[in-house]
Amino acid sequence: MATENQNVTVQRVEPSFNPVQDEDLDQYGRELQDCTIVDVDVHVDDTLMFMFDYMDGHYRKRMETVLQADFKGEPGNSLRNMIAHIAWLGSSYDKPPRAKLATKEDLLARMEKGIIDYSILFPSELLPIGYLPEPKWAAALATAYNQYMVDAYQNLDGVKIAIVVAPQHPQRAAEEIDLHAGHPDVVSVCIPDVGVNPPIGDEKYWPMFEAAARHDLPISFHGIEALIHDNYPLRVAHFHTLMQVNSMGFPFTSMLQIMSVVCAGIPVRFPNLKFAILEAGLTWMPFIMYRLDAAYLRYRTEMPALEKKPSDYIRDWYIGTHELEALPRRGDLVRLIDLYQGHDTTMWASDWPHLERDLIAGLMRYDMDDTLRRKILGENALRFFGLAPRK
Amino acid sequence: MTTAQPPARQTRQRRKITVAATDDLPPGARVEVQTGRAVIAVFNVDGEYYALFGRCPHQSAPLSRGRLQGTVICNAETCWETEWAFDGEILVCPGHGMEYHVKSGEAIGYDLKLRTYEVVVEEGQVILLL
Repeated sequence: MATENQNVTVQRVEPSFNPVQDEDLDQYGRELQDCTIVDVDVHVDDTLMFMFDYMDGHYRKRMETVLQADFKGEPGNSLRNMIAHIAWLGSSYDKPPRAKLATKEDLLARMEKGIIDYSILFPSELLPIGYLPEPKWAAALATAYNQYMVDAYQNLDGVKIAIVVAPQHPQRAAEEIDLHAGHPDVVSVCIPDVGVNPPIGDEKYWPMFEAAARHDLPISFHGIEALIHDNYPLRVAHFHTLMQVNSMGFPFTSMLQIMSVVCAGIPVRFPNLKFAILEAGLTWMPFIMYRLDAAYLRYRTEMPALEKKPSDYIRDWYIGTHELEALPRRGDLVRLIDLYQGHDTTMWASDWPHLERDLIAGLMRYDMDDTLRRKILGENALRFFGLAPRK
Repeated sequence: MTTAQPPARQTRQRRKITVAATDDLPPGARVEVQTGRAVIAVFNVDGEYYALFGRCPHQSAPLSRGRLQGTVICNAETCWETEWAFDGEILVCPGHGMEYHVKSGEAIGYDLKLRTYEVVVEEGQVILLL
C-alpha cells in the first residue's frame, strides 16, 4: 500500500528484526557521492568454523572440539560468546536484536552501492585472542584467520584487510607480519589489545613493532568489551553490568596502551610506525594527551628517550570515530577535535554490521566545514592505510 | 478591555492526511508517512492508533521499523524492584535500541519526548491531523 496526496507518501512497513543497515548510506548517498569515504572498521563473519580448514595437526583436532561446544544457543564457534559475553547472557533481553554477522555477499552488496570507496576488514571473533592464556594457541588462531581472510577477501573492489596478531607471542606475530605485509590487500596489522599483559609497550613486544616498521605496515589497536577484562587493564569483577564494562573497556584500554607505547619510546625507536585506535570513541583523547603532558613536567627523566612531550606524539595517532559519542551541541565535535588536534587523524568508522555500529547520520548531524568532513570521511584514512583515491 | 484571542495554533486549519483505510491498517500494522521533510510513524496497537515523529533523534534511524515489545522498569511504584512492563507498547528503535512509549512518545530512561500527532477515524479512513 502506497498512496500519494498533497506530496504525502504513505508506506506500509514491517518491523525490522535485525538492526537497520545501510539506509543511512542511501539517505546521504547523493550528498556524499563526490566525497571519498573509507569505512575503517568493518567486520565480516569470521566465526571459528571458517578457521578449521586452515589449522593443522593437534590444533585442528582442538578446533574440532571447540566447534562442538555450544554456548548461548548458537553454534559453538563464537569465541566472543564463549569468553566475552556469557556472563551477561540475555541482559539486554531482546533489545535490540543481536546483529547478524555480515557475509561476503552482504559486504559486496554494501560496496556495490558505490558510496563507500574502501572498507577495511577487522577481526570480530578473533578480537579476544589477546586474552587467551596460551600464546601458541592464540598465535595458531591468528595464523588461520589471516590466511582465511586473504584467501576469501582478496582482489575485491575496495575491500582491504587488517591481519591480526597474537601479541602474547611476539615472535609469531612478527612472522605473520613478514608473511602478509607484502600483499596488496593487506593494509594494517590489528593488535587486539584487551587482556594483554604486560602493557603493549613492553620490550617483550618489540619484535612485533619492529616487523611492522620494517614493512611500513600501520598498526591498529582494536579493543573488545566484556569478560576478557578480567585481566589488564580492568577487572570486570568490579562491575555488575555489561554496559559499564563496555563503556570503560574500550577507552581505558586505549588510553593505557597509548600511554604504554609512547612512554616506552616506541615512536622514537620506530619513527615511521603509524598507529590507530579503533572503537573507543573520541572524547578521552584530550584527557590522556594533556594529563600525560602535565605529569611529564615532573617525571620526564623516567623516559629519557622521548624527544617531545607526550601529546606531540599522541596527536600523530589516528583514531576511528566509532563509537561516536552523542555530544549535546552540533558544534561540539569540532571543538573536541580541535582539542586533540585531530583534523588530520580522525577517520570515520562504522563498525558495520555490529549492533553498536554508527550510522553515517551520527557524524553528519554535527556542524563542520566541508574540508574537515572530507578529511574525516576518507582523506585521512587514505593516508593512514596508504590507499589510492578512487574518486 | 479587549477580548483575549485564542492562541494562533488553535485557529490554524489543521491539515488532514489520509493514512489508510482502517481495513488496511489492522492491529499490529504500521505505516511511515512522509510529508515534505517530516517523517511520521503511525501504528495500530490493539485497535488504537498512535503517530510519532518518525526519526530517532540519536542517529536518525526510521522508527516506523521498530519492534513493539515491553521493557524493564524500576521505580518507587515497583518498590525499586525490576519488573517487566508496558508489554507491546514500547517502540524499540531499529538503529541502536532507544526505547519510546508508543502512546506518549516519551523515551524510556531519557529526558526526551518525541512529538506525537493526533490520529482519528473518519468514514472508515485513518486520518492523521497535523
